Amino acid sequence: MRLLIAIWSGKALIALTRMLGRGGTTLPGRVALAIAPGLSFLLARRLKQGTVAVTGTNGKTTTAYLVNGILEKAGYKCIHNQSGSNMSWGVASTLIENCSWRGRMDGDFAVMEVDEGAFPGAVAELRPRGVVLTNIFRDQLDRFGEIDSIQALIKKGLDQIPAGSFQVLNADDPSLASIKNDNNSARWTYGLELELPPDEFDNTGQDLKTCPACSKKLEYTRIYFAHIGHYRCPSCPYRRPDPDVRLTERRVSAEGISRVKLNLPDQALELNVPLLGIYNLYNVLAAVTCARALAIPTAAISAALGKAAPSFGRMERFDKDNKEIIMALIKNPVGANEVLRTILNQPGKITIVVAINDNIADGTDVSWLWDVDFEQLSAVASRFSAVVVTGLRAWDMAVRFKYAGFEPERIMVEDNPGRAIEVALDQTAPGSKLFILPTYTAMLGMRRHLNKMGLGIPYWEES
Amino acid sequence: MGEINIYHLYPAHLNLYGDRGNMLALCRRAEWRGIEVNIVPVNPGDRIAFSSCDLLFMGGGQDSDQKLVADDLKRRSGEMRKAVEHNMVIFAVCGSYQLLGRYYTTARGEKIGGLEIMDLYTDAGKGRLIGNAAINCAIWDPPRTLVGFENHGGRTYLGPNLDPLGTVLHGYGNNGVDKTEGAVYKNVIGTYLHGSLLPKNPWLADHLLRKALAYRHQDHGLRELDDFTEEQAHQAALQLAASKRVNKKPSL
Ligand SMILES: [Zn+2]
Repeated sequence: MRLLIAIWSGKALIALTRMLGRGGTTLPGRVALAIAPGLSFLLARRLKQGTVAVTGTNGKTTTAYLVNGILEKAGYKCIHNQSGSNMSWGVASTLIENCSWRGRMDGDFAVMEVDEGAFPGAVAELRPRGVVLTNIFRDQLDRFGEIDSIQALIKKGLDQIPAGSFQVLNADDPSLASIKNDNNSARWTYGLELELPPDEFDNTGQDLKTCPACSKKLEYTRIYFAHIGHYRCPSCPYRRPDPDVRLTERRVSAEGISRVKLNLPDQALELNVPLLGIYNLYNVLAAVTCARALAIPTAAISAALGKAAPSFGRMERFDKDNKEIIMALIKNPVGANEVLRTILNQPGKITIVVAINDNIADGTDVSWLWDVDFEQLSAVASRFSAVVVTGLRAWDMAVRFKYAGFEPERIMVEDNPGRAIEVALDQTAPGSKLFILPTYTAMLGMRRHLNKMGLGIPYWEES
Repeated sequence: MGEINIYHLYPAHLNLYGDRGNMLALCRRAEWRGIEVNIVPVNPGDRIAFSSCDLLFMGGGQDSDQKLVADDLKRRSGEMRKAVEHNMVIFAVCGSYQLLGRYYTTARGEKIGGLEIMDLYTDAGKGRLIGNAAINCAIWDPPRTLVGFENHGGRTYLGPNLDPLGTVLHGYGNNGVDKTEGAVYKNVIGTYLHGSLLPKNPWLADHLLRKALAYRHQDHGLRELDDFTEEQAHQAALQLAASKRVNKKPSL
């Protein structure tokens, strides 16, 4: 009975927040969990095929989206949460939204993106059939305090996954691959094996990776970005595990579509991936490895990935009067650097809007902006037709650009985010690209403005 | 137009919370005035003489990093103390501010000896003190505000003869109790404020540069710069710190 009351309250609150024009997922879940704390456990176990939980610092939204797409292509009905609903209450809201008024779950799988901080709790509640781990970088330090604690959280979650389930993790991230856990779940690893030009980006503030066995500094034969690459210990046998799934070839077409070759344990697979950026190759690897662990046929994998559109603010594209608007969420230095690298790989003139908020979902400490290598943009300042900053922390960003080397006169500060988009569009020539780089809540605001301009659709009406 | 040597202590270990911004502010504001800056990274084990250092920058680190460098730092403490008595400039943020004192206690309860440059000590507290902060800083006349962000588990207490860097207007400061923030001894400034601190508080950056030049007997004076952008950021941060969005209770 308690469960039903929780479901009804949750459903009523979801309807109410939608009516108010918000995609609110926090309040309904919180209220429902207050009424029935075991709600997620009770609902998740009613799924026919179980839950896949995806966590990590960067790429979890895109990875979860890709896994979801593959499973649907394979004929399963999936429940999937949006980024921003990746705390326990968001997971609860998503489950409530997808069950009947009597508590019947309408779905085979749930694919849940889970915040690193919420990971141990989510594992305990969802008893997942599989977990997918993307990477660990410095993120919102105001939340976690110290970086070691993120690793500890992931380990705590892994220690609790049920026997007989599987884990998928990035072999190229030593801070993940070195996590030891003593359960008898199947362990699948993935890794990139490409020759790539070295990353010019200065990832200041990243941890030094040391050998988990003997604490010596790890040596790298390849670094793809930050501490992600091929590593080994100089003084003991510890090294990168040989991945079960490897990406060994990539050709990029003029339209930005990558043709990639994947080596699975028993066969090779060629795929088209319409997502930009090296970091998306890792998201593809994670999703394919997860699909493989679930024994999904390769035909469904190729079909789903070929049609993958960027998810929710991750290089999401809009068209306005022959000007292409691309929105790319930024939330931590490594992720932001990868976005900047992808932007700089685009031909032609570029307009850029950076929208920085410091609400709780963004991280209340904006000092991470100083660890993003914005100097890479000012090094080619003439390529930018305009640089616009907005958001609650617009002036912090203006100072960042100034010290990165942009002339102060060229940095346009627009407190109103809607005006910022308009000003930037005015400065963008037809045929050119406008990049919007928002933090999480700034992205929600930006999306509302784009919706008002007739671009895109409100996110709670998607899918 | 002058030249200064900025030593950056353990850049690979002590670099939390946008410390790069503090280094950038010092370097750019010197370069914009035609002052040549030499940056010397100091890594554990390096043989470095502090006699040619004008300004030493020490950033923040997490407990594990601080422990890693503590031994190396101990070996340098005698030389550093001597340089401080001769008025070498030190700017230390967060974790390394704690290292300047007698000792600090980690979250796990380990007591780690400090450099004993300043008469202060740091105990582990319950919950972290996190949020936007502003202080009234009396090392200028008339006093000016400093704005930043604090995030520390340690509670720092100053000895009776040590001056704080300022008094808390918004936020927690050294320990969340006595309304002091940071500490000043001779040309050494320690603070919990990051954000990064110097870009948003350009006069503190200039103060450090001026002291460093004077330490090398280069009294060129510093040309005024157009700080409109920095001032706007300062004012905006001040308003934020004063607003209700500041954390009121330590977050556990
Ligand atoms: Zn080793």
